[in-house]
Amino acid sequence: MLNRLLRAAPYIALQLAAMYFHQLAGHIDYPATPGRIGPDFWPKSILVLLGLVCIYEIIKNLLIGETFSAAGLLDDLMKDSPADPDAVRLPNRPWLLASGMLLTVAYVAGIDKLGFFLATGAYLALFMVIGRYRNWVVIAAASLLGSLLLLFVFMKLVYISLPLGIEPFSSVSLMLLSIMGVH
Amino acid sequence: MDILINLGHGFLQVLEPANLLVLFIGLVLGMLVAVLPGLTLVMGVVLALPFTYSMGLLPAIILLTAMYVSGTYGGAFTAILFRIPGEPIDVPLLWDGYAMARQGMPAKALGWTLFAALGGGLIAASVMVLLSGPVARFALTFSSPEYFAIILFGLSSVVSLGGGSITNAFISLFLGLFIATVGVDSIYGAERFAFGVPFLQDGIEYLLVMVGAYGLGEVFTRLEKGFASQEQNADTGRDIRTELPTLAEIGKLKTTFLRSSVIGILVGIVPGAGATVASFVAYGAEGQYGKRRAELGSGIAEGIVAPQTAATSSVGGALIPLLTMGIPGSGATAIILGAFMLHGVQPGPQVFVTSGPLVYAIFASLFASIIGMCIMGYFAIKMLVKVLDMPEAVVSAFVVLFCFIGAFAARNNLSDLYVITAFGILGYLFEKFRFPIAPMVLGAILGPLAESSFMTMMVSYSNDWTVLIGRPVSAVLMVMAVVALVYPIQRQLRERIAQRKA
Repeated sequence: MLNRLLRAAPYIALQLAAMYFHQLAGHIDYPATPGRIGPDFWPKSILVLLGLVCIYEIIKNLLIGETFSAAGLLDDLMKDSPADPDAVRLPNRPWLLASGMLLTVAYVAGIDKLGFFLATGAYLALFMVIGRYRNWVVIAAASLLGSLLLLFVFMKLVYISLPLGIEPFSSVSLMLLSIMGVH
Repeated sequence: MDILINLGHGFLQVLEPANLLVLFIGLVLGMLVAVLPGLTLVMGVVLALPFTYSMGLLPAIILLTAMYVSGTYGGAFTAILFRIPGEPIDVPLLWDGYAMARQGMPAKALGWTLFAALGGGLIAASVMVLLSGPVARFALTFSSPEYFAIILFGLSSVVSLGGGSITNAFISLFLGLFIATVGVDSIYGAERFAFGVPFLQDGIEYLLVMVGAYGLGEVFTRLEKGFASQEQNADTGRDIRTELPTLAEIGKLKTTFLRSSVIGILVGIVPGAGATVASFVAYGAEGQYGKRRAELGSGIAEGIVAPQTAATSSVGGALIPLLTMGIPGSGATAIILGAFMLHGVQPGPQVFVTSGPLVYAIFASLFASIIGMCIMGYFAIKMLVKVLDMPEAVVSAFVVLFCFIGAFAARNNLSDLYVITAFGILGYLFEKFRFPIAPMVLGAILGPLAESSFMTMMVSYSNDWTVLIGRPVSAVLMVMAVVALVYPIQRQLRERIAQRKA
């Protein structure tokens, strides 16, 4: 039963979300015109269809315990293809994934304060380390030169205004930009 | 005759030094992303988009189209030589291409790939030039029901043609369509699901969904495996060259070649399908109808020519609905559409009237790209495969950064970085729980078009949706949409019942 519940869990969550947003769609504020469908019709229709597919999967997985699913053509074609004799199943490393995700969120949160150059240099170096790369010379060179090059290309050549950061970090960004001739 | 003259003018534009340089860069980048296992073709084109912001429209489209077409070819080298498919497109090349290489004929296998890419690509480009004008003229007669039916057909195709379970594909599609409804709607100006948050009021750009789900999601998925492809130890230092097939050898494969070209073009035209589907379908067709079908998988030329021809010819096919109707049929064409719109040009039936020289320059650039990529493939394979020596962790770190810069550059809004991270995590979860990503992305891209054509249709025809089956073109498209959905389900249910009986 636990297996069935686990299989059905994503569909239950999606069904609940669909119901919540359907209820929200009922409160969309707009100037109604008699005889015309409103801006709530389209999202409500999509959410109803989403809910119906989820109900089908919940019944199938939870109540009937059926695991068969009709697959798309690509899966069908690949099913008949020769198996790769040398294929290796790689182990999962959830800690790497969690660290990578956390680092990415931290980068997004910190780029506004640290500025593009400092945040990017640190992110590149740490991401490579999390990705199990241990050539420290390459890590240092790639993160330092990489962030400098990106700063130059996007600020000087492509004219994208990247975040400079807040004091005292912004002084580093401003110094680099003045060296590069970006005003 | 007019077509040839216009195409000639197009070539003159493409051959201008600046455009030629951009084309060369596009070809190199396309090949590199196709060779590197951590990067996919769509990801590569997404990452190149921010560099096009400061370019003119023509060089921007040349860059992205060159990347798109060479991306269907570059991965063949690593699939054949090292059993490393850079792209899902290249998986069928493992079966016969790698097998031929193992039999001591890697140069011959690469020669067949080059011939298939060149021939298939040029045939598809010619068909594109010949068909685009008539299709655009026909599309001028379309009204909202026809547009809605085309989009519905495209969405049902992406559900039925893609990988993963069909119900999961439906869920992915509905999520994509729902994401597209967030923000202020274009008809009533009503705020939907924005919760008063300013950046949600502007809506969620489909580029953010694409970059997050394809780019960041893929990096997270590979990070969970510890970037294990860096341990593949491909021997990139060995002697690598290409041996072209003789005319007599080519003559024996003309049926395979023509069949695969047609498959590639047709699959490319269908919105929702792309080079990967074309490659697998052509290989499957060879297994069904090929003269030497019994030997397929043992290292025969047909097993190389069929998937590669179809993959490259799908590019020409995919550009037809994009240019003539403004409907992107695949991830890569959606990004090209994004580049068009960023420069204030809306592809569609009017494009030949409003931007004829530009369209012919794009056509010419496709011919030039195909020839250029094959020349490059012939002379520069040894250098290209060297990128396999680059550590995946380093490449992936830069991929994430390009994703962020691309997302940030579109609107100069730091909040978009949170959105892209959220879609990156969602993309990872989709991979994990075997929900296909393509339907969600295509739903987010085509959602606004689908909604506006549906609403216009309902207003124009007094809320009578039966107009969809009352007009010939939309009726045919609706039937095709239903068949696309029902056929794979019915086929598998029949197989399952037969298995149970056995």
